[in-house]
Amino acid sequence: MLTQLVIAQIVNGIVVGSMYALFASGLTLIWGTMKMLNFAHGEFFMLAGYLVYFCYAVLSIDPALATVIAVVVVFLLGVVVERTVIHHLLSRPVWQFTTIIATLGTSIILQNLALHLWGPEFQNVPYFVEGMLNLFGIRIAYQRLLILGVSCASIMALWFILKHTRLGLALRATAQDADAAQLYGVNILSIYTLTFGLSAALAALAAAMLAPITAVNPYMGLSPLLKGFVVVILGGLGSFGGAIVGGVLLGVVESLGVLFSSTEWSDVIAFTFLVLVIWIRPWGLFGVEERS
Amino acid sequence: MVLRTEAWRRHGVIVAILGLLCFVPLLVHNPYLLHLFILSMLYAMLAGSWNLINGYAGIFTFGHQAFFGLGAYASALLAMHAGLSPWITLWFAGCVAALAGLAIGLPVLRIRSVAHVAIVTLAFAVIVQAVVANLPDFTRGTLGLAGIPSFTAFALPGIGIVSFGAGDQVAYYYVALVFLALSMAFMIWLVSGRTGLALKAIRDAEEAADSLGVDPTRYKLIAFVASSFVAGVAGAYYAHYLHILTPDSAIGVSIMVTILVMTLVGGIGTTIGPLVGAFVVTFGLEAMRGLGDYRLMVYGLLLVLFVTFAPNGLAQLRRARPQRHRGEAQGPKPPPKK
Repeated sequence: MLTQLVIAQIVNGIVVGSMYALFASGLTLIWGTMKMLNFAHGEFFMLAGYLVYFCYAVLSIDPALATVIAVVVVFLLGVVVERTVIHHLLSRPVWQFTTIIATLGTSIILQNLALHLWGPEFQNVPYFVEGMLNLFGIRIAYQRLLILGVSCASIMALWFILKHTRLGLALRATAQDADAAQLYGVNILSIYTLTFGLSAALAALAAAMLAPITAVNPYMGLSPLLKGFVVVILGGLGSFGGAIVGGVLLGVVESLGVLFSSTEWSDVIAFTFLVLVIWIRPWGLFGVEERS
Repeated sequence: MVLRTEAWRRHGVIVAILGLLCFVPLLVHNPYLLHLFILSMLYAMLAGSWNLINGYAGIFTFGHQAFFGLGAYASALLAMHAGLSPWITLWFAGCVAALAGLAIGLPVLRIRSVAHVAIVTLAFAVIVQAVVANLPDFTRGTLGLAGIPSFTAFALPGIGIVSFGAGDQVAYYYVALVFLALSMAFMIWLVSGRTGLALKAIRDAEEAADSLGVDPTRYKLIAFVASSFVAGVAGAYYAHYLHILTPDSAIGVSIMVTILVMTLVGGIGTTIGPLVGAFVVTFGLEAMRGLGDYRLMVYGLLLVLFVTFAPNGLAQLRRARPQRHRGEAQGPKPPPKK
């Protein structure tokens, strides 16, 4: 019985962790290319949650279509935010500091806008698919399997884009050396805009999948943002593979932690682990040591 | 506290502001207005201490609320359980915060990346908040700590007994003013002396400073510990002034956001910036009461607008100066916009 419980929790951890991975890969993508932290990442997640809620739970649009709508709208919103708030900061010498403040400001604006428009109530979104899979006595909701499938597919798609398309090549070139990439004809300013939109879209996809499990409210972005930060630091900022391994690792550790200690302490454990990792390996578990 | 005459002249405006603040209780009798003045002074102290690490040492931290909250809870719990006078526990609170500053400063100073420092300091504050919230037997958890004792009364020659009861807001006002003046004097003394020079040298060119025998780690640690100490004392004052603490109100991220807005509005890296910013933002937000729920959104707008159009804050309007804050840039710099 205990083994079954542990296995079920591990499976759950992998499912939730795959969403952390999706969310965090957006953060790490932005860091890798633009060398900035996006404090508004959680608000893109939140807005996508509301879009799915309105499209699917209120207007009864097909969940797949609702997800696509949420992802596309949030992608466009990301592009708009990058163009209006971030873009001109990137041409200044100390943008790492100013972009943190600008995205934090954006996050406060979006969060309060949502609070004002839709109120602080939790809105429930029904499961996209009903039913449970019963495998050797371990019961897993189909919704969770769907989450796992979608995140695997999108991570592979992202990997394919990064490794095998011209866009991915331009993106990686910009991440490696923006000056050199520009000399070779890459329009790095457009790459920044696209990266930001793509990253927002990843947060949106994670939100669409998680909305039925976590319920939608204006503050739902804070927790994944903090966890996303833990994941990208653990995995090494800018490392795509690190974000995925880090995400799944955090998901499993958290799910197993619930079995052994009360849930209130899980955040404390996660963040203490983060501070310890930073102390010992400042560049993360999979990151490359940066020149100092 | 020895201040050079040159330093006095440079900080004349600050002295003038503090001097004017002495007369406020003679003119303002509305308790709510006095409360706003007290809050402004408290935040000026807090934002000033954050500015010491960020504006002068050039390390962008995002967890200053941890030191404020640690100071607040340490002083409140000591006064409640050990029966000590808040006048004594206040300094303990400063020391607890300073120790925490030392503990988190050591790992943080090994990191050069702006992003890592911001996340680790934020993580530290989240840990402190979660621990305080998860120890209900000790801190009453999220319910909040209530019944924190007031400052004890004392006799002042020429004035008589100064007490801190429910109607004695003027007494609280002057205590806040004295603390603000002390902390400003301490920080001006620190930044206009050898430490300040060393910090600025490190901020602007760390390798060069290092090669000239200025130990970056030592001076950054001094800034970290001094800053945490001031934040801890400010937190202790907050606890004994409001008599109630919750993990959200005393250690929440919103405190950090407020500090950030105030420092940015006033001018980062200047001694006067946080002082001006604290008053402008506190009273400005109050003036916008009519906006209701939209007021918080103003914080966000202020952050975006100031960072875009006036990154050096209101201090910039006084005289044009080159951008002072230096993040330790890593990786490729985007080229100037065409």
